[in-house]
Amino acid sequence: MIDPLLAVSFEAFTQPGFWIGVGVIAGIYTLLALGLQLNVGFTGIVNFGQAAFMAVGAYTMAILVIKAGFSFWLALPASVLITIGFGMIVGLPALRLRADYFAIATIALAEVVRLTAQNARDLTGGNQGLSCSDDDAGLCYFNEWRDVSDSINSFIESTIWSDPEQLFPLLLVTWAVVLIATVGLTYVTNTPWGRVLRAVREDEDAALALGKNALRYKLQSLAISATLGAIGGFFFALNLAAIYPVNFEPQVTFFAFSVLILGGLANYKGVAFGAVLFWFVLEGTRFLDLPDPPFTETRIAALRLAITGMLLILLMAFRPQGLFGKKEEMVLGE
Amino acid sequence: MNDGLLRVDGVYQRFGGIRAVNGATFDVAPQSITALIGPNGAGKTTLFNVVTGFYKGDSGVVRFDGDNVFRKSPNAIANRGMVRTFQITKALAAMPVIDNMMLAAPDQPGERFVNLFIRPAAVRSREKEVREEAMEMLEVFNLTKLSDSYAGTLSGGQRKLLELARALMAKPKLLLLDEPMAGINPTLGKRLLDHMQRLRKEEGVTFLFIEHDMEVVMNHADKVVVMAEGKVIASGDPENVRNDKKVIDAYLGGEAHETKAKT
Repeated sequence: MIDPLLAVSFEAFTQPGFWIGVGVIAGIYTLLALGLQLNVGFTGIVNFGQAAFMAVGAYTMAILVIKAGFSFWLALPASVLITIGFGMIVGLPALRLRADYFAIATIALAEVVRLTAQNARDLTGGNQGLSCSDDDAGLCYFNEWRDVSDSINSFIESTIWSDPEQLFPLLLVTWAVVLIATVGLTYVTNTPWGRVLRAVREDEDAALALGKNALRYKLQSLAISATLGAIGGFFFALNLAAIYPVNFEPQVTFFAFSVLILGGLANYKGVAFGAVLFWFVLEGTRFLDLPDPPFTETRIAALRLAITGMLLILLMAFRPQGLFGKKEEMVLGE
Repeated sequence: MNDGLLRVDGVYQRFGGIRAVNGATFDVAPQSITALIGPNGAGKTTLFNVVTGFYKGDSGVVRFDGDNVFRKSPNAIANRGMVRTFQITKALAAMPVIDNMMLAAPDQPGERFVNLFIRPAAVRSREKEVREEAMEMLEVFNLTKLSDSYAGTLSGGQRKLLELARALMAKPKLLLLDEPMAGINPTLGKRLLDHMQRLRKEEGVTFLFIEHDMEVVMNHADKVVVMAEGKVIASGDPENVRNDKKVIDAYLGGEAHETKAKT
């Protein structure tokens, strides 16, 4: 029998584990990209530093729990506030830059954060990762979440699903937050406040000439985005059970941008669709069943990214506004 | 002299070695229509930018409605009631015309983020008022039919009207217009001038506008301020300015210029 040239073993797609895995990561990227949507799609600030907010949120949460003995539930709001504060310190000077320079500054920032996490080993564990305290107390940042997760699962077990996946509660909570964030952002963007944001996106000078403090609105936009980045970071940390600097490479932000472009600019509901599509393709191609020579594992890994990239190129060619974007707003923007 | 709504005193703005505004001094009387004229490169637009806070001038005093607003931020100046338009119109292209208009209305509590959650009723009721005001203003400028179109789809002349209408939504005391007639057809230009006259009379709005069309300036301005090489070389009523020798020299390249060029 001849092997087909391109084949996918469809068995994997019948496993709930695959869908839950894709669902969780897509939910996390939806949160990251919702923040980018507010920044890029509605405020005109090109934030390439979403991975930095995610890293600051995740590391702060874990450090507060493990090193400072915070309760997990208290560490969450505390690290959101710290991430916002971090965003303001960065935004105050950087948002005075022109859009393209701001983009460069934020990508540099994200790398500074990642490299700091890599080297501040006492605090972050460096490349060994951060998960539990070193002593025998067994203090891990995810302990309190695991308790909740287990009780959700035992409830599910006793009602609708006899053998729930371990990550299922995380999936539920992630998408509940996605829903709240999507509805919330849609609301605030359709208000006079959101109108000022769009004016700043269109022409900052025009907004200034009408008495709007453009910098203040840009900072607020960045603060909300930082919040979503931090929350995405929490879920990321819970999904992995350990945090490594490598989790926050610039690629994370670029993936979130891909999600944004797939879903369409200046539109919130498209973000979730973009994220699911993106991660379905990227994870689904993991099961590409190709003959080993020449298709070694590393080559398939590269091929997965190439296929995903191809998808984006095709989309740009045939539907430049993304799945849900408005073409008029895109064309008239310039 | 003391009752000027806007008093510009000894304003300087240098860019490297170029002295774009070189000690300009003049004032604008309340409820007047004042024209700012001068040859290309005289520093008119730069002066506008300094007066409205878009450029941080090097030195000088800009007194508006009693306060020195020199080097204040453009948004703070606009909120005091000095609103400007731009030489190249800044329609917010990917926003509908009605949103362009509603954006400019003052006192909308919903422009503060927290108010969206703690005072939603106040936000909604103000929004309703603002929408009505905006529709009335669009009616005045014959833009009603375009209210839901994206501003980017408007013609050049319509954009000029939109920008003026939008500036008026901000309820300015003083409106600075940078070449409002440029690029629009004479009929529309005539209507624009009629609006200015009417607003001055009915709403007490003061106008300062940059213009190159001498016919418009001579027929519609109460006072003319002439700039050349960064300085105000003459000001007064149109008739006097027209016959001022310095003004004629500046426009036609008089004696003073020629001798300077030779040396």
